[in-house]
Amino acid sequence: MIETSSPPVAPVFAVKKRRLRFLGLTVDDTIRAFFGGNALVAVIVLALITVFLFREGFGFFAQNRTNLEVYRRAGLEYVDFIRRQTDDHTALTRYLSDVRLRQLKLLTEQEKKSLDEANAALAPFDAFAEQFSATVDPLRALMAELTEQATALKTKFAVTEDRKVERHQLLAEGKTAEATAVKIDAVDFATELLPLRAALPAYKETSREFSRKLVTLLDATPVLPAAELLPRMERLKQLTRDYLAGFPAIEQAMEAWDYKEPVPAWQTFTSFLFGRQWLTASFWQDWYGILPLLIGSLLVSLVALAFAVPLGVGAAIYVNQIASVREQKLIKPCIEFISAFPSVVLGFFGIAVLGQALRAASQISWLSWVPGFPYSERLNILTAGCLLAVIAVPTIFTLAEDALNNVPRAFKEASYALGASRLQTILRIIVPASLSGIISAVLLGLGRVVGETMVVLLCAGNRIAIPDFTQGLSVVTEPVHTMTGIIAQEMGEVVRGSIHYRALFVVGLVLFVLSLLINFLAQKIVRRYRISIG
Amino acid sequence: MVIATPEIMETRRAAPASASPPSAGKDTIVDIDHVDFFYGATQALNDITLAIEAKKVTAFIGPSGCGKSTLLRCLNRMNDLIEGTRVARGTIKIHGVDIYEPDVDVIELRKRVGMVFQKSNPFPKSIYENITYGLRLQGRSDKAKLDEVVEKSLRGAALWDEVKDRLHASGLGLSGGQQQRLCIARAIAVEPQIILMDEPCSALDPVATAKVEELIQELRSRFTIIIVTHNMQQAARCSDRTAFFYLGRLIEYADTRNIFTNPANPQTEAYVSGRFG
Amino acid sequence: MSTVSHIFRTPPGGVRRGERMVFWLFRGATYFVLLCGATVFLNIVIKGSHTVFKAEAPFINTTFLTQAPESLYIFEWEGKKREMGDREFRAFKEQNPAAAKVETESYVYSAGGIWPCIVGTVLLVVGSMTIALALGVSAAIYLNEYARDGAFIRFVRLAILNLAGVPSIVFGLFGFGMFVIYFGWNVSLLAGWFTLAFMVLPVVITASEESLKSVPKGFREGSLALGATKWQTIRKNVLPYALPGILTSSILGIARVAGETAPIMFTAAYVVRDKLPWDVEKFGDFFFQGVMALPYHIYVVSSKIPQNDYTERVQYGTAFVFLLLVALIATASIVLRSRLRNRYKW
Ligand SMILES: Nc1ncnc2c1ncn2[C@@H]1O[C@H](COP(=O)(O)OP(=O)(O)OP(=O)(O)O)[C@@H](O)[C@H]1O
Ligand SMILES: [Mg+2]
Repeated sequence: MIETSSPPVAPVFAVKKRRLRFLGLTVDDTIRAFFGGNALVAVIVLALITVFLFREGFGFFAQNRTNLEVYRRAGLEYVDFIRRQTDDHTALTRYLSDVRLRQLKLLTEQEKKSLDEANAALAPFDAFAEQFSATVDPLRALMAELTEQATALKTKFAVTEDRKVERHQLLAEGKTAEATAVKIDAVDFATELLPLRAALPAYKETSREFSRKLVTLLDATPVLPAAELLPRMERLKQLTRDYLAGFPAIEQAMEAWDYKEPVPAWQTFTSFLFGRQWLTASFWQDWYGILPLLIGSLLVSLVALAFAVPLGVGAAIYVNQIASVREQKLIKPCIEFISAFPSVVLGFFGIAVLGQALRAASQISWLSWVPGFPYSERLNILTAGCLLAVIAVPTIFTLAEDALNNVPRAFKEASYALGASRLQTILRIIVPASLSGIISAVLLGLGRVVGETMVVLLCAGNRIAIPDFTQGLSVVTEPVHTMTGIIAQEMGEVVRGSIHYRALFVVGLVLFVLSLLINFLAQKIVRRYRISIG
Repeated sequence: MVIATPEIMETRRAAPASASPPSAGKDTIVDIDHVDFFYGATQALNDITLAIEAKKVTAFIGPSGCGKSTLLRCLNRMNDLIEGTRVARGTIKIHGVDIYEPDVDVIELRKRVGMVFQKSNPFPKSIYENITYGLRLQGRSDKAKLDEVVEKSLRGAALWDEVKDRLHASGLGLSGGQQQRLCIARAIAVEPQIILMDEPCSALDPVATAKVEELIQELRSRFTIIIVTHNMQQAARCSDRTAFFYLGRLIEYADTRNIFTNPANPQTEAYVSGRFG
Repeated sequence: MSTVSHIFRTPPGGVRRGERMVFWLFRGATYFVLLCGATVFLNIVIKGSHTVFKAEAPFINTTFLTQAPESLYIFEWEGKKREMGDREFRAFKEQNPAAAKVETESYVYSAGGIWPCIVGTVLLVVGSMTIALALGVSAAIYLNEYARDGAFIRFVRLAILNLAGVPSIVFGLFGFGMFVIYFGWNVSLLAGWFTLAFMVLPVVITASEESLKSVPKGFREGSLALGATKWQTIRKNVLPYALPGILTSSILGIARVAGETAPIMFTAAYVVRDKLPWDVEKFGDFFFQGVMALPYHIYVVSSKIPQNDYTERVQYGTAFVFLLLVALIATASIVLRSRLRNRYKW
């Protein structure tokens, strides 16, 4: 401490200065705090994204529960027992018409019959098919009647709910008189459901009659003109018998059905996460099951990666290890340039060129060994996957190249010194040493592809259904819809605050969580890799 | 190499006591008192006590890694910039002010304690701007005054004649030795009281080194200079007092003449005569 | 002639040939990627240039670049096939009243031009990049100059990394939920700016940090040793040398901002809008108006109208202009960056 007892001369070493302070902070502290605040923005944005996805999406689960509850209370679930029964029958008739198609093909192509002749030969079969499909008609009529009743009940309930909201709003605005004027009829499900339930004996009657007819029909199957298809006919018989065997169970279920049975809370989650239908704005019942979208997203991404991983990693190995310096200088900027292609332009290219081109290629006869070829849907998983590969390749390439670059030179030199060839060094030393980097590159590529919107929206075909996996790999030629695509497509058209609107936010939330998960995995793998090197 | 600890302890107590009593001398400007210094968990300085006299050149010598730079950077608190560093014990006083007191403003401190680095680091600006940088920071923008300071500092750094025609050319266009002298000129432009030099000549050829040494001789009348060097001859030629460090401890501190002709400590002798390790 | 057989001789055939074949496989993969990129690029450039350029002076289709989109009408008139834009057709009908009854085929957006879309895209890019640069550079300054390693900083870096992986459509949802609905900004430039800015923030921060890192430590130490405060050091002796690097690397961010469709779909873009953005009554309204944007326009014209010879012109034309814009930005970034690498070596 200096003793400032003799102040006339300024102290020789005046390093104690009081700087301007505001709220205890100097100017420099304030600037630092300002920059620190900006660094926080990333954290804040991430938090805000979470908050707003939850804020808009969370109500979905409560609303969906109500949705499911009404489905039960208004008897829609009850009617759906019969609906499923008729739908299964429709599937059988579809099988029949498939058999007819194959026969026709056999007759015209192999036996060189004219179309008329072939049709004539198929006449007994047609008669049978017609009878077969007609058996369901009485049941269908009954169902139509019940459908009407249930829908009416549901509408009534919806109107009541709307009124309640209206009155609530009026009350909130202080308009008491108007509020009391809003008439609300309580819906008494028990009495309203009586006619529906009273139809049970009629149903049993119809169903049994239906069953009897089918049994008699099965005994009188026509002789097929083409013997090759006999096994298919047998299969139909077997399917029909199985179908018939299920009838008593349906009856029992309908008898046991209770409209009052509560819908457990977990069902709103499971019906979302494992629901196999995404059906909106339907006259009957809306379903919000993410499964078809999730599967669509994953399938498209997998196809994209199937192309992008070999190409991206291969190109990275080539550029990093094999290519000359001049080639490197040429290829790297080019791939960087490809990464700048806007996805909507790629999507447009898919619609305008690639979709057609791939379909044309699929119809070339010597390519017919490729699973799924030939196909007729222009826009499908394959088209979208190919274009997404164009997006994923630069990401994978750049990151994988970085990983290869990070392998210490000493490894390579040591390997050469032991007499390994270039290829051996690359495959046994360099690639394994950078493997975790490459894997995380692939994961980040996957993240990029799963989150991509425009390409799948334009090129994936937008059919909301779980594709048919029974044909093996040819599943890639089917159209699908994706999580990103559905948000982009439906967000603009939904009513704010409706269950559909909230469902889209929940899909967004799933997407968000998925991307965080992929990122997390990639980072984890990279971190492991750092430790192993050094 | 293993050193017998008692011997060192003895030397440490003996040497400074014989040279100058701590914080007593009238012309003591820097007074380092029992300082321990840590980089995180590793201790770089161990119980250093040293009094540096005003208007003299003091040289720090010692083998690599013994803590010379660390001590030097303690004097203008450049070590504050490195994470996890702390002066764990002891005080460093300049003009009687403990520079590690919380109310000391490092900015004011650094204005008064200038520094020249091992690797010359002129800013990629013109020579003129390099020199006026410090003054402009203090808010001086009076052109005439700045011109005057530029000339004075460049003359002070013996660089004026070489660059007077290209004051507005980039400082990076100078030769290595000129760059280092530019850095010295930049440091003296803000009129510090003490100039710290960390191996200022290590990257220079003998001719440039000679010039810088000459410069140091000229500057000694106006500034207190502390110089770290690996070059024994340089220390012998241009310093008044020399401190020898080893493994984070001060081994011997005395008049340069004594250190080089008649060292009290055998290690010092071994080091200065090049028979070390 | 018999050469001496020594042990260092290249082994015959087999191994080497296999190696060379594998190398060719890798080379094939690389050039296949480039080929795919070139195919897409050339297809759009060649077909699009029919719309954007023309044979006679001034060689550029100014209508397409300077007018708003219109519907296209196609009809037979006096035995000839005529094509007209909306306005032209209306004028034509006034002149020839008989034309009112003629049977027409019409396609929306297929005539006129894309001027409002270009304007909208430029506005979106400029605004969002300004915000992103301000936020991103500040954040990078903190991370690189002030922050000391610790749990907080690791957390911030983690957040930045994760933000970089969030799908753009999720940013769109977020922007919609927060700016459009919660803040009540509706579909507006402002909402689009912030949504896009947050989306490129990680890119800008990473680029800025890298540039700051490349400024040598000596500049900072030298300045601090002369008694500069931290902020003076940064402002006078760090930022000026980092700024070119920051800007060039951020251009890649610009390409990303310009190219994204999903985030602006529900926050800033309109399918059609008659007024140009500067047609506002009050200055404040400027920020609260939606705009047309090139990427969204491409989406609209390629998904909402049928594909045929008439609509193809506008589809390819728009894609061409957009791709060229983005490609120019990207090329500028790549070239500038390699220049910069060569120039600054301290
Ligand atoms: N930033 C740092 N972090 C951790 N330890 C450090 C740091 N800087 C120096 N050290 C350690 O402190 C000790 C003293 O280092 P210092 O740089 O002071 O040595 P020096 O005497 O200047 O050596 P030289 O002659 O090689 O410059 C050394 O053991 C060194 O490893
Ligand atoms: Mg040193």
